[in-house]
Amino acid sequence: MEDTVSYQRLPKVRIREMRDDFMKFELRETDASMANALRRVMIAEVPTVAIDLVEISVNSSVLNDEFIAHRLGLIPLTSDNAMEMRFSRDCDSCDGDGQCEYCSVEFHLSAKCESDQTLDVTSADLHSVDHRVVPVDVQKAFDSDGYDPNQRGILIVKLRRGQELKLRAIARKGIGKDHAKWSPAATVTFMYEPQIHINEELMETLTFEEKESLVDSSPTKVFSIDPDTQQVVVMDAEAYTYDEEVIKKAESMGKPGLVEIYAKEDSFIFTVESTGAIKAPQLVINAIKVLQQKLDAVRLQDDNNFNELDAHLGGS
Amino acid sequence: MVSQQDDMVSQQEDFGANPNLLAAPIKSPVDKFQLLPAFLKVRGLVKQHIDSFNYFVNYGMKKIMEANALHKVTDTIYLRYINISVGEPYVAIDNIKLTPQFCRLSDRTYSADISVDIEYTDGKGQHPTRKTSVKIGRLPIMLRSCNCVLNGKDETELAKLGECPLDPGGYFVVKGTEKVILIQEQLSKNRILIDIDGKGRITASVTCSTHEVKSKTVFFMDKEKIYLQLNQFVKPIPIMVVMKAMGTESDQEVVQMVGRNPRYGDLLLPSIQECSSERIYSQEQALDYMDAKFNFFKSCSIQLFITSFSTLKEGRAKSILTDVFLAHVPVKEQNFRPKCIYAAVMLRRMLDAILNSDTFDDKDYVGNKRLELSGQLVSLLFEDLFKTMNTQAVQRMNYAMGQSNRSGALDFSRYIVTDIITLGLEKSISTGNWDLKRFRMHKKGVSQVLSRLSYIGALGHMTRISPQFEKTRKVSGPRALQPSQWGMLCPCDTPEGEACGLTKNLALMTHVTTDEEEGPLISLCYSLGVEDLAHLSAEEIYANDSYLVFFNGLILGKHTRPHTFANAMRRVRRSGKIGEFVGFRTFDDFLHDGLIEYLDVNEQNNALIALYEHEAGEIDRSEITHIEIEPLTLLGVVAGLIPYPHHNQSPRNTYQCAMGKQAMGNIAFNQLSRADTLLYLLVYAQRPLLTTKTIELVGYDKLGAGQNATVAVMSYSGYDIEDAIVMNKSSLDRGFGRCIAMKKQTVVRENYGGKVSDIIVAPQRDKDGALIRKNMQILGADGIAEPGQIVRNNDMLVNKKSPLNVDKDLKTRTYKDTPAFFKGVEGETTVIDRVLIYTDNNEKMPIKFIIRHVRRPELGDKFSSRHGQKGVCGTIVNQEDFPFSERGICPDLIMNPHGFPSRMTIGKMIELLGGKAGVSWGRFHYGSAFGEPSGNACKVDDISNALIQKGFSYSGKDFLYSGILGTPLQAYIFMGPIYYQKLKHMVLDKMHARAKGPRVMLTRQPTEGRSRDGGLRLGEMERDCLIAYGASMLIFERLMLSSDPYQVQVCQKCGLLGYYNQKLKKSFCSMCKDGENMATMKLPYACKLLFQELQSMNVVPRLKLTEA
Repeated sequence: MEDTVSYQRLPKVRIREMRDDFMKFELRETDASMANALRRVMIAEVPTVAIDLVEISVNSSVLNDEFIAHRLGLIPLTSDNAMEMRFSRDCDSCDGDGQCEYCSVEFHLSAKCESDQTLDVTSADLHSVDHRVVPVDVQKAFDSDGYDPNQRGILIVKLRRGQELKLRAIARKGIGKDHAKWSPAATVTFMYEPQIHINEELMETLTFEEKESLVDSSPTKVFSIDPDTQQVVVMDAEAYTYDEEVIKKAESMGKPGLVEIYAKEDSFIFTVESTGAIKAPQLVINAIKVLQQKLDAVRLQDDNNFNELDAHLGGS
Repeated sequence: MVSQQDDMVSQQEDFGANPNLLAAPIKSPVDKFQLLPAFLKVRGLVKQHIDSFNYFVNYGMKKIMEANALHKVTDTIYLRYINISVGEPYVAIDNIKLTPQFCRLSDRTYSADISVDIEYTDGKGQHPTRKTSVKIGRLPIMLRSCNCVLNGKDETELAKLGECPLDPGGYFVVKGTEKVILIQEQLSKNRILIDIDGKGRITASVTCSTHEVKSKTVFFMDKEKIYLQLNQFVKPIPIMVVMKAMGTESDQEVVQMVGRNPRYGDLLLPSIQECSSERIYSQEQALDYMDAKFNFFKSCSIQLFITSFSTLKEGRAKSILTDVFLAHVPVKEQNFRPKCIYAAVMLRRMLDAILNSDTFDDKDYVGNKRLELSGQLVSLLFEDLFKTMNTQAVQRMNYAMGQSNRSGALDFSRYIVTDIITLGLEKSISTGNWDLKRFRMHKKGVSQVLSRLSYIGALGHMTRISPQFEKTRKVSGPRALQPSQWGMLCPCDTPEGEACGLTKNLALMTHVTTDEEEGPLISLCYSLGVEDLAHLSAEEIYANDSYLVFFNGLILGKHTRPHTFANAMRRVRRSGKIGEFVGFRTFDDFLHDGLIEYLDVNEQNNALIALYEHEAGEIDRSEITHIEIEPLTLLGVVAGLIPYPHHNQSPRNTYQCAMGKQAMGNIAFNQLSRADTLLYLLVYAQRPLLTTKTIELVGYDKLGAGQNATVAVMSYSGYDIEDAIVMNKSSLDRGFGRCIAMKKQTVVRENYGGKVSDIIVAPQRDKDGALIRKNMQILGADGIAEPGQIVRNNDMLVNKKSPLNVDKDLKTRTYKDTPAFFKGVEGETTVIDRVLIYTDNNEKMPIKFIIRHVRRPELGDKFSSRHGQKGVCGTIVNQEDFPFSERGICPDLIMNPHGFPSRMTIGKMIELLGGKAGVSWGRFHYGSAFGEPSGNACKVDDISNALIQKGFSYSGKDFLYSGILGTPLQAYIFMGPIYYQKLKHMVLDKMHARAKGPRVMLTRQPTEGRSRDGGLRLGEMERDCLIAYGASMLIFERLMLSSDPYQVQVCQKCGLLGYYNQKLKKSFCSMCKDGENMATMKLPYACKLLFQELQSMNVVPRLKLTEA
């Protein structure tokens, strides 16, 4: 580590699209390790709140207790303050019975079907003692201020006449690494930004039909033909799925090098979809925070550990 | 369509090259698939069982009764049966209607009363007494048969009875367990089979079977001469002697009967010469000759059946000829002519076979086989028991008449013991042992417990055919796939190993027929121009244009224009006038109109069947007689689950057939109210994305056994070698492969009679109110564990006490604790799902606990796709480490590509493609067997196009990024959904290890087997290795110290074992009567045991010790 060449980079983020449950942004001037670390943290290490403990007092439904408990666990709960909450294992102000405001939120559910019509027990029947932690669809209905009769929430179980379900549930903070129910991300993915070069000289040698077949050879709509100039143009480079169909097509037409596509090694296009537990932009911010904390943990580690590591790597 | 036909065959000899034409070609048979659901709706999946049972209840029983109607004690005292009927199932005590579900839960037999109308005399009055509805026993009722309460019920009614509407029925409920009587395969009766026997001789054999007799008649040719072989004769009888004995004295007539072709005559000459060299010319001489060859010992049992047994000497041969020889050909008024003609036909076919080896019969030909169904098997049992019951009734009557002090009139009905039939039937069906001395039948495993592991397993069980041969025979012939089993038996569904190819399964649309009334058909044949042979001379039988007409193995007569006759028969059949199964057949409206007909294996030979109308090709269209409804029906129910089976290597389909039955899923709609000993259910079972028509027809889409998993075919981490699967942890968290195992534990509250029984008491508490034992915490106030409670190993289920004495006085009666505990896996939390309490037939009170355990997949659990590709879970990886695509798709599991090249399961690849196109379009794709031409299977081209439209690669490959590095993977990855089944083999049920533990009493060695917490054996091969290596101390440790070390006192003088006297603190030799020279040593207890056992046999092992 004598060389003090700085590997420091200052990645740039450009937000393309931002909604509560969806976000698309560019991450530039960094490499795959950085992009992937961000992705992994978003999936597995951003904390949320989810139901973790269920006490069932009455259950005469067709689904058994474990079944219902599992379903309850998978209901996404609004976890905006999850970052500030305590893990129940670290909480020293309670004994983990769910009565503690720092680490847990209590829910109650009580439903009984008394008509001949099937009663749907949904997340809307799940009553929270903390208004900040509620099922995401309930929050959504509350925010939009409109009651949609078709949107009764996330189905837990169906009851028929005489059946009853009564339970107490405790939601706790956790991370996706422990169980997928704590993962705030529905989809987090990125792709390398493709760079497409069309060899215009070679392209001019093609007939219109050939151009058309070239454009059509890509399963996604990457290229199109300019109606005015009849030139092949890149319509949507990001639609390219690195399938190399166009390149193969060009080769089969005897024109290798007609189209050249490279992946830009230092720019990534991220797509983040959230379960609703945390809003997508917040998810990214939280992920960066978690990543920072992890890096801090590494930085603040005892130097001896690093020496050991150095020795391991051959010593320098 | 095509069918397995049971009984009637109308067979035309020398059928020419001109197959009969159907009336007019059907305009557009494109939509013929529509017929299939209609067909199955009419017929059901296990109609063969139900039909057969219905036939037995409605006709078979009556026939048996009529055959055994009259029982005479004396001439004046008799018992006559007039009518017999079977009622509805009900409980005898409270007259409650029985339902199958009630029987299943309360361990009862689902049975109904058999009642008879009888007429009897008591010897005094002249007028016979009549009694109606006398109960003679109870008959287990087949579910969904005509006597079952479920018969004709719709879905809601079935639901009310606690029954699953998709359950096909066709089985019995005996003592609470569901029992299937397997279809038994048998060689066709009353059929001439030309074959070559073990000694290379040409034989013609007929297995004759009538209601009275079963016999086997064999003609064989030895050194150019033909002989008859019958068990009743010591030696083979020359055939000409037999013919003469039957009254055909002239050699010329015999030759005429066989045929005028001189070549036949040449072949017969040696036989004729032999006969004359024996100087047998007349019937008398022939019979005398045969009498001399009579086998006394073997025929003793047969004599029971000989009705016309007359004089001792002469009668014998003649009576054998009448009753045993070709027994199915009736002899009326000493007229042996039909038998002569039949024998001649056998001879002719033998000679034909010599002249032209093509005319040999094939024993394995499906047309030469018959299937015996539950109705027939129960009928055999019933006949035997009915006879036993009547003999006993007669005996008792006889005995009662002998009693002088009898009071009142004799009532025959009182001597009919109802238990014989009830218990006999119940015992046979519940054990599966058909032991009928009367029919010399000793079959084991005829009935089996219906496998309820999966819905498809239960269906597959009901279509299974158990083999006629024993499994140990190492023959290839009967195991091979027969071309004639097309459309009748599933070519895929057979087990691996010893029963391979012998145990078979029915194809989807196979119909097995019951008997048809013979009389009207015979007269129909005659009116259609069949000439009775009785009126014909031998010469005329084989006149140029005459053809023999066989009816159920009997020669009916001859016909001069066979095509006209066959067409006429077919026309009658198509017009629905005679049973559809007379040779060939039709269904419902179409059946009545004669547009669809069933073809039996034998008739298929005379038909030219096309798969599709448009595929005729080189064959002239006008020559096609039939079109298959759908080629996919040639597979069975179980093989029908496989998508694109015709793209797979054939053994893979067979493997899947075996595994589909082990897959977990939904068993039935009433699965949660059932009380099986072991039940595996999948938490989120799905229907396959790539389905087949069969799946929809059998209802597998409603009771699926698997989940659609997104599979990436790639290598990952090395934990996927040897077919192991890498699984995504998040998928498992979300419920993939999660299953429920329900186990039953029964505790019986015994009843000792006289109102003395076990008692169940509330959990005892000490004065502070705390439970006296910790493991009582799940007990309710009634002393029985409560549903919903979490139960751990050794928790108490029932707080039961048993009486120590049977004192009438409750105060002096004392009890001891006999609690029941839960035996489960240590460390696992299981839950009591349900508790069932009921009273059984013996006034005992069993308590059934259904104990539920929800499991998520773990390392080593077994999974399989539908293409015979099984694998265990090799590792579970977090989702963030899994590869992902830029769309955000992340597979549920990763499969190693090495699974493909050697297995050649192209079907799986197409399933992946089709499934991927299916999810992206939101529809189900089809992959029915051979379905591409008819549109029942999607073509790969179409699927690829569908994929391209959704922006995927046509090849189904995706560009993936590594989840660990974030960099693109080197190759495109073949990824998409495949239906995966979780198989019942789970690590939790199998893993086992022990340090110290229980030992066997006798040898003091560790016990064997997981269930007894046994040790792991170091066997002789392992021992050999250690010896070869020279690791003597290790051997010593394994074989003695860790097994059964034992210290003995050895007398160095006599070398025998002594003992240690604890009082004197001294060892002693009981042989030498002193304690000198004693040495102490260690040896395995088993060794000491061996010495003592040898001593008990007067063998003296002596130990000679040296100092060590």
